[in-house]
Parts: sequence; structure tokens; C-alpha cells
Amino acid sequence: MVVSLISIILLCPLAAFAIFGLLGLANRRFPRQDYLSTIAMLVALVCSFLLLREVVPNPEPHTVNWISLGGVTFSMGFYLDSVTVIMLIVVTLVSSLVHIFSMGYMHGDPRYPRFFAYLSLFSFSMLFLVVSDNLLGIYIGWELVGLCSYLLIGFWFEKDSAANACKKAFLTTRVGDVGMFIGMMMLFTKFDTLSLYGEGGIFAQAAAQLSTADMVWLSIAGVLIFCGAIGKSAQMPLHTWLPDAMEGPTPVSALIHAATMVAAGVYLTARMFPILTETSSLVIAYVGGITALVAATIAIVRFDIKRVLAYSTISQLGYMMLAIGAGSYVAGLFHLTTHAFFKALLFLGSGSVIHAFHAMHHAHDDEHEHAHEHEHGEEHILGSEIPPDQDMRNMGGLRHKMPITFITMLIATLSISGVPFIFSGFWSKDKILAGVLGRAMEWSSVHHYILFIIALSAAGITAFYMFRLIFMTFFGEPRNQEMHDMAHESPKSMTVPLIVLAILSFPVVNTLWFNKDYVKPPPQPHLHAPQHAYLSPDSQTGGQGAALSLFGVSEAFAAEEEGGHGTHADDGHHGHGPAHTIAMVLSIIVAGLGIFFSWLFYHRRTLSAESVATTFRPIYNLFWHKYYFDEFYDGVLVALTVWKSRLFAQFDGSVVDGIVNGVGTVTRDILAAFVGIFDNRVVDGLVNRVAQVTWAVGGRVRRIQTGAIQTYLFVVLAGIVLLILIFRAL
Amino acid sequence: MLLSLMIFIPLLGMVAVLLLPRESEELIKRATLLFTLIPLALAVYLFISYDRSNGGTQYVQGPVPWIDAFNIQYHIGIDGLSVTLLLLTALLGPICVIASWRNIEKGIKAYMALFLLLETGMLGFFAALDLFLFYVFFELTLLPMYFLIGVWGGPRREYAAIKFFLYTLFGSVLMLVAMIAVYLNSGDPGARTFDIPTLIALASTEGHALNNLNFQIWVFLGFFIGFAVKVPIFPFHTWLPDAHVEAPTAISVILAGILLKMGTYGLVRINMAMFPQGLDYFTNGIGFWGNSLALLGFINIVYGSFCALAQTDFKKLVAYSSIGHMGFVILGLAARNSEGITGAILQMFNHGVISAMLFLLVGVLYDRAHHREINGFGGLGSRMPVYTGITTLAFMASLGLPGLSGFVGEALSLLGAYDKFKMLTILSTIGIVVGAAYFLWTLQRVFLGTLNPKYEALPEINGREILTLVPLGILTIVLGVWPNFAIDMFRESVTNLINLL
Repeated sequence: MVVSLISIILLCPLAAFAIFGLLGLANRRFPRQDYLSTIAMLVALVCSFLLLREVVPNPEPHTVNWISLGGVTFSMGFYLDSVTVIMLIVVTLVSSLVHIFSMGYMHGDPRYPRFFAYLSLFSFSMLFLVVSDNLLGIYIGWELVGLCSYLLIGFWFEKDSAANACKKAFLTTRVGDVGMFIGMMMLFTKFDTLSLYGEGGIFAQAAAQLSTADMVWLSIAGVLIFCGAIGKSAQMPLHTWLPDAMEGPTPVSALIHAATMVAAGVYLTARMFPILTETSSLVIAYVGGITALVAATIAIVRFDIKRVLAYSTISQLGYMMLAIGAGSYVAGLFHLTTHAFFKALLFLGSGSVIHAFHAMHHAHDDEHEHAHEHEHGEEHILGSEIPPDQDMRNMGGLRHKMPITFITMLIATLSISGVPFIFSGFWSKDKILAGVLGRAMEWSSVHHYILFIIALSAAGITAFYMFRLIFMTFFGEPRNQEMHDMAHESPKSMTVPLIVLAILSFPVVNTLWFNKDYVKPPPQPHLHAPQHAYLSPDSQTGGQGAALSLFGVSEAFAAEEEGGHGTHADDGHHGHGPAHTIAMVLSIIVAGLGIFFSWLFYHRRTLSAESVATTFRPIYNLFWHKYYFDEFYDGVLVALTVWKSRLFAQFDGSVVDGIVNGVGTVTRDILAAFVGIFDNRVVDGLVNRVAQVTWAVGGRVRRIQTGAIQTYLFVVLAGIVLLILIFRAL
Repeated sequence: MLLSLMIFIPLLGMVAVLLLPRESEELIKRATLLFTLIPLALAVYLFISYDRSNGGTQYVQGPVPWIDAFNIQYHIGIDGLSVTLLLLTALLGPICVIASWRNIEKGIKAYMALFLLLETGMLGFFAALDLFLFYVFFELTLLPMYFLIGVWGGPRREYAAIKFFLYTLFGSVLMLVAMIAVYLNSGDPGARTFDIPTLIALASTEGHALNNLNFQIWVFLGFFIGFAVKVPIFPFHTWLPDAHVEAPTAISVILAGILLKMGTYGLVRINMAMFPQGLDYFTNGIGFWGNSLALLGFINIVYGSFCALAQTDFKKLVAYSSIGHMGFVILGLAARNSEGITGAILQMFNHGVISAMLFLLVGVLYDRAHHREINGFGGLGSRMPVYTGITTLAFMASLGLPGLSGFVGEALSLLGAYDKFKMLTILSTIGIVVGAAYFLWTLQRVFLGTLNPKYEALPEINGREILTLVPLGILTIVLGVWPNFAIDMFRESVTNLINLL
């Protein structure tokens, strides 16, 4: 049942894409590719819900042999636990809504069918990643979603900015993927398998075999695999591709670059939870924490509505990473699901706004071209040209024109800002804060409290910039009357998905899974292992003893988890009571402060953003220039690579090939000289005689056969025959 | 007999083509197609009927005495590796004939005749079980190739053809010397032999003259340089970009698809199987020499990729990318374990398929625009969507996107190599990123952006061209999704090989 349901989930979107691809070979189209893709997705959605009942406590993977070699086999398979099924539902649900939204948003695009085919391919790849029980399968899905991301960011490839952005996205994530692949090689060399679950899987082997001595390489392997997540989930320092990815159509930004693909990194990190060590956990927590804060500060100063949301996404993903690094497995995944819905909603809402300006966009295409020319000055250098229909400085007062878009986006904003109690984002964010604080209390070093401070600040800044977006877009007076007059509420195909997602932003829907122990964190046998093993007397007696004691420790941990005494404050309601209360109170305060200042700056206008920017010019510049990451990458890394490649090519052309040609010339000259001498003195007479004969024969041959090659071929053939005969005779 | 039939039918075809009148070009082309389709049918039959559970040599013919004086025999047979490469060769044959249908303007008769001769050489090479026969077939491919590049090539065809010819000849002379050394050491006068299975057995016989580390190191080197030129391995690679740029499309396809594989096939068949001690000396991971083969693989990968990144000639870029991709084969072979060798063999086959696609695609564009300057295009994606789609598929396969065949070979080679050469393998992964970079950059410069007004009327890829690409595209996807389809063929042969090492 499980296998067939998962197969249906995977095959439906794949078939929808395959039909497009096969017909495309003949330059034909399926008449309604949009319906085909959407229905495929809805079927997958229904099957995902059906899978809810199939979840069992300790599932076994369903596998087949994919590559069988003499010694080892690589299997492919499905693994279905509560996390898988939640991810399946999130992906199919958001994907279905985005499909429906796109029917309105992409209407009239010359490559409309292709868009849906790509969405189908993406959905297939993402779902494949989610259900895979092994690292190889995850890696395959991982790269395929990267391909789809590439194709969809570059969907309007006539724009140079889109063409650049898609290439950047693919290459930046590939840098992370290579790290992930190296991590996989390390694990494979140790365990001879890439399967994660089951008896011979990596987790079982790691829990049973590894000793204290293994913690170093295990930490390195964990961090390397996390590199893949850094790329895909746009964590620092590989985050720069995600804001540029906004060049893709907005439904793509909602589906791929907010709700699903970028969350795959979090999903992967969560999947690797059982083999995370103390060190790799800390690395993950810090990368996530720093990303959360830095991206939030960049978001404050952006004017492109989609870029604000992009940086917000980076920041929220950092939050999830922080949670997992701090051991709050459940909180991280919980935030992943709540974020998927409210961020998809925010993106689709922004798409609705952009769409509202779209008619006008078409009417004034020529003018825009000019506008672009003018803007080329400073903005172009920054690589952040803002299309007028995405520039919040052109918006304002849209709440009357687009009430549904406004209300739904407001709900999402309240949710992401962590407004207490009735919005889902509050609960998931609160769980993370409580978890981080609880963990900070456990950690031996006081320094790690900084993670909590970072998380808290990021929460406050998030509330600030999100309300800045709402105030600038929907409140106040229209800033661009001409554009405002053209604006209109979007058609039903677009507003219905918004409403559904708004409903999903309330806690009733998705806290259900997370509050009833539906998701349980897997044990982390290696997390405290070094200390425990170190403290235990057995470690003195050598590896075997340490390994045995370690095994005992991990058993104890597993038992502890089963009993519900969460060691790392996974669930706020047990374990760390005080941490939870403190975190909740503080998070409400910072959210309130964020919203309040946003109101002062962008609605009441008691405070002026411009004057603050002038006062703190260096800091403002830092934020505005996105901490100069792009400048560094383009100016240093890319330039270096291109320079190096030219150097190699020149070396190849002049040195390596030069030597070859030199040797050739010298040999020819020397040989020629030798042969010349030999020739004149000895052979000449002979050759002349032969030449005469050849000439005569050649003339006769020429009469039979024209064309030197034919002659040559016959000679070769005759030669072969002759050779065989002569040698046979010998 | 079946095998001999397959090898010599193209030669028969050559005679037939030569006897046809020069004016009836259509007839010549059809006859050539027929004489390449028969070996394909036979290759498919062999592929299906080959007994996979037994990795040994099958469909053996001979040994029949050929040149008694030197105990040279006609002895052919196939194992899993040969049958896979024979299929590749036989498949590319008709594809190349179809690809040459319209764009060979002069001397079509001689061209087709030479092509058929070339095919016999290649097919024979992969089946030969006698070292001398092996060498004869190896050399037999050289002559037609020389003319095919030198007569039908681009502006610098003569330079490229001579360079290719001399370079390969230089390598094969060393190989010949090594071969004679092996022959002379194979036994007492009168009992000497060129028979490959016999030599392999002798080389692992305790106390035999061939079973000597010093001897093996030197003959290993001799053969190695001969094959290294063909692969090509840095620094013997510079003939390749020149030959590719000048060669006509179909010949580039053969060059990248088959001739390069002859080098790596030789490494497996001769260097690894016959001289395990020599191999061990160069791949045991101890010191400089113990890492040397893996080092060469690494250099090929990184050097080839970086050089490719700097190219602005589309064909030259693909040529350098071939150098990079063959590096994975070398790295995998150096690992000497089942993952590495399987990965290397898969990479041989997959690179044959993918690079064939790439050169065909370059040819399609060249036939229309009459130049290959990457920066001279732009925005073709909106003008030629089908062509763009197929090119994207080929590029993605070549840059190792999982789900397509290129990934499996690369990944297995790396996984195998990591076991032995950790640092070199990690450094080799740079090639994966650079590989993606040059392909995506090319994709952007040729297909994305606004359409170059010069090419507003560029016709879309036609049915004949699609016909040449579809079988290769299908193979790329099938082997990416189900690699066991190919691995099943040579799993046991690889096990046998590893047992020899």
C-alpha cells in the first residue's frame, strides 16, 4: 500500500512532464498542459493524505537494488515516517495551490504550457527527495530540484538578469553539493552503504560501531553534508543566489524559493540528525543563527517587494537550521511547515500585487525600457535593478483596491512576525527560541547564549521589516497615482489559493501534528558521546571498551527520549519550563517592539527612515550593499576562476602544445637533414629507378581509377590481402 | 563466426562502395548505412545473448594460426567490457552515416569507404584477443582517420591530421616495443606467443619471466604511453582539440565516442590485466609513483575543465571537456576496486554517448550558422526550442546531473577513488563545479538572453538531425535511471579483473 501510494505520488507529476517532453520533440503541445499538471498534483495531494494512516512507529525502508557491483550494492527506496508524510503533504499542498495560482498569473505567457511542465518536473524531484531512504536518492532529487530551479529562474531567459540569476543559482548550490558529495564519500568509505535506515543503514551502524576516536571525522562528514544544505537553503556564505532567484516568475518564488526546495536543506539536516555530533551541531547552529540575523538586517533596507521576502526566507531558513543545530528537531521541522504556508502566501500575495500592476506594465513597455536605462546608474552596478511593478516605492494604499490580497497577506505577516497565540508562526518560532535557550543553558560554555540573543534580535527585526512591507504596500497614500489607478484585485484562480493558505496560517491546522507527539526526535547517540565516554572509566582501557560504553550511553539516550524526558527542550511544555516561559515573554516583547517601530517609521512617520539612514551611513551602506558578498564573489572568486582558466588555456596552447610542435619541427628538420644526406649519396639512384617504375604504374592506375583516395584505399586493401598471404606462407 | 562477420562486414561494405559509380551518391549513402546497420543488429544480438552470469570470454573464434613464423594467431572473443564498447561502436556507426548525409560535399564515395574501413578497425580492436591482431586493428583505425580529417576537415585540416597521425604513431611505436618485449619474454624461442589470455596467465605464474616487477613496470609504461596518447592523458592531449576542431562532425563523434575509449580499453585489457604488478607500482598509493596514475586522472579532470572554461570555440570547449571527463575514467581505474572500475567503464560508455551528442549538436549549429564562436550567438532558445531542449539535456548529462547517465560513472569513480586517494579525489571534485560552470555559461551565451538579430531566421533542428540524437538521448536517460542495465553486462568481467589484480 505504502509503495503503491508513493509510486502514484511520484509518477503523476513525472508523467505530466514526460508528456510535455515527448510531444516537445515533435514541436507539439498537449492541448491543456496546465490542467494535466494540476490534476497530477491534486492526485498526488490526495495520495499524500491517504499516506497519513500508513505511518507506523518504526518503519522499515522499502528498497530495490539500484546499482549492484561485485562487492557492494546501492539501493534506492522509500522511507515513510511522520516527517516524510508531513513533508509530502506540505509539498503537494503548496504545489497544488501554486499550480492553480499560476493559471491566473501566467495566463497569456508565450511559454505557458512549458511553465506547468517544469512545475511538474520540480514537484516530482522534490517528492523523490522527500521519500528517499538513502543519501544517494536524496542527492539525486537534490540535484534535480536544482535543475528545475535553474530552468524556472531562467524561465524568462530573454532577460539578461534572469539568465545570470539561473546560472548563479545552479553554480552556487553546486559548490555546496560538492561538499555534500565529499561527505557522502566519507560515510560510504566507512559504512559501505549510503542507505540511512534499516539494519545495515548508516544510522544503525553508526550507533553500534563508532567510538570516541571517530567523532572527529564524523563531525567533518556531518559539516560537509551540511554544506549541501548551506547551498540549497541559501545559508551564509552561499546565500547570494536566492535573492537573485527572484528573477523567476513569482509562483516559482513561492513554491521553490520559499516553501519547498530551499527547505530541503533543513529537511536534509533533520534527516542527518542521528549522526550529528556536538561540533557539527554547533556549526549548524551558528551558521543558521548568523544567517538569520544578517539576512534580516539586509531585508530592512530593500525596496523590491520580492527581495524583502527573499531575504526574509533566508533569515527564516537560518532559524530552522539554528533550531536543528540546537537539538530542537521538532521545532525546526514545525517552523518549516508553518513557514512553508505563510511564506508561500506572502510570495503569492506579492505576485498578486505585481499582477495588479501588470496591465499597466504592458501598456507602458516602452517607457519602462527608458526607465531601465535611467536606472542603470548606481543600481545596475549593485546588480539590483528593481522592476517598477515590484518597487514598494511605487505602491501604497492598495488595501482598498485589493482587499483579499491585503487581508491574506496581513495574516501571513502577523504569523511570520510572531504575533502571539492565534497565528501558527508564533508557536513554531516560540518553540525554536525555547529550544535554543534551553540548549544554551545546557552547553558548558556561556558563550552560546549569544545564539539565543541572535535569534531574539532576528525575531524583532523580522516583525519590523514585514510590517514595513505591509505599510509601504497597502497603507498610506498611493505614491504612484498612475499605477495605482490601473491596479485591480486578482482573479479567483489567484485569490482562492491565497485564502486557503491564509487559513493554513492559523495554528489549528498544523500544530495538530506537532503537539501530539506525532513527530518524535530520533536519538542522537553521538551528541554527548565524547564527554560521556571521556568521563567513563572504560575509555581508559581502549577503543573497544569505549565503544561498548558508548553503546550503553546511546541506549540510555534512546530510552530517555522514549520516556518523553526531552533532553534538548524539543517540546516547550516539558523539560525546560523556565526556558520556555522566558523565551515566550521575550519573543512577544521583541515582536511588539518590531511592529511598533515599523508603525512609527512607516505609518505614523514620527521617525524618518531617511534620517536614520543618514545618521548611521556606514551601517546603512553595509545593509544596502548586502555586506558586499556579491562584490566579493564577482570581483574576486569568479574573476579568479576565469583568470585561472585563461592561464591554463594559454599554458596549454603555448607551453604544452609548443613543446609538441617544437619536437615535431626539430625532428622533421633533423630527419630531413639526415635523410637528405643519406638520400643523395645512397638511395638516389635506386629511388630514381623506383620512381620511374611507380610513375609508369601510377599513370596506368590513374587511368583506371580517378581520385587519389580511391587509389589509396585499393592499395590498402591489396596490401592487407598481400600481407595475409605472405605471412601465411612464412 | 558471428563476431568475425560483424567485424568484416564494414570492410565488405567498403569494397561494395568502391565498386559503385561515383555519381550515384544516394546509393552510396544507403549502401553505407546498410553496411553499418548490419553490425549494429549483430551487436544488439550479442548484447542480448551474452551470458551475463559468466564474465568470461564468449563468442570466441580461433585461435587460428595467421603468421606462423611469430606464432601470431587470429583470435577474437568478447567479455562484458568488449561487448559494451562494441555496442557503442556499432551504434555510432549508422548515426554518423546519417549525420554525414547532407554535409559532406565532395568525394562522398571515398568518405564513406574510409568510414567503413574505420569501423572495421574499431570493431576488430575491441574483439581482438591476440596482441598482434590488437595492434593491427589499432593501427588500422589510424589511416582512415588521417584522411577523414585531412581531406574533409576545416581550414587547418592538414596540420591537425598530421599531428594526430604522428602523435598516435609515436605512442604506438612505444607500444610496439613493449609488445615485442613481452613477446620475447613470453617463453623459449618457438614457444613464444602474442595470445592475450595466455600472456595474462603467464604474467601471474610464479617464477615466469613476465612475472617480474621491474619488467612489468617498463612494459606497463610502454603500453601506457601508447594508450595515454589515445585517451588522451595530460600532457599528451594537445592533438585532440586540433583534431576535433578540424574534423567534420561525424568524425568528431567517432573520435570522442570511440577512439578515446580505445585508449582506456587498452589500459584495462592490457595494462591492468596483463601487468598487475606494474599497475600496483603506479597505483598503490605509496609515494609519488604510487599515486601517479590517480594524479594524472586528477590533472586531466581539473586541467581539462579549466581549459574548457576559457574556450570560445564551441567545439574546442567540448573537446577539452572530453579531456576532463576521461580523467574520471583514469581516476576510477587507478582505484582498482569494483566501484572505481565499474565507474570507469560506465564513464567510458556514457562519455561515448554524451560526447557524441554534444558533437552532433555542435554540428547542427555549425551547419546553420557556419561558425562556432560561442559569443557570436545569443538568445537561440526562443528561436530553436527543440534544439535548445536537446542541448540542455546533453549538457546536463555531461555535467553529471543525477538521473542522467553521466552522473553514475563519475560518482562511482569518485566513490571508488576516495577509498584510496582521499586528497586527490577531493581535489578532483573541483572539476564537477567547473564542469557545471562552462556548460551553463555556454548555455547562457548561446541560448539565453535576447535573440541575436542575425539569427532570426535560423531554421529549427530537422527530423534527420533529431533522428541521430534520439537514440543517444534515450540511452542517456535509461542509463541514468537504471544503470544496472549496462552494469549487468560487465559486473562479472570486472570481478574477474579484480581477481587478477
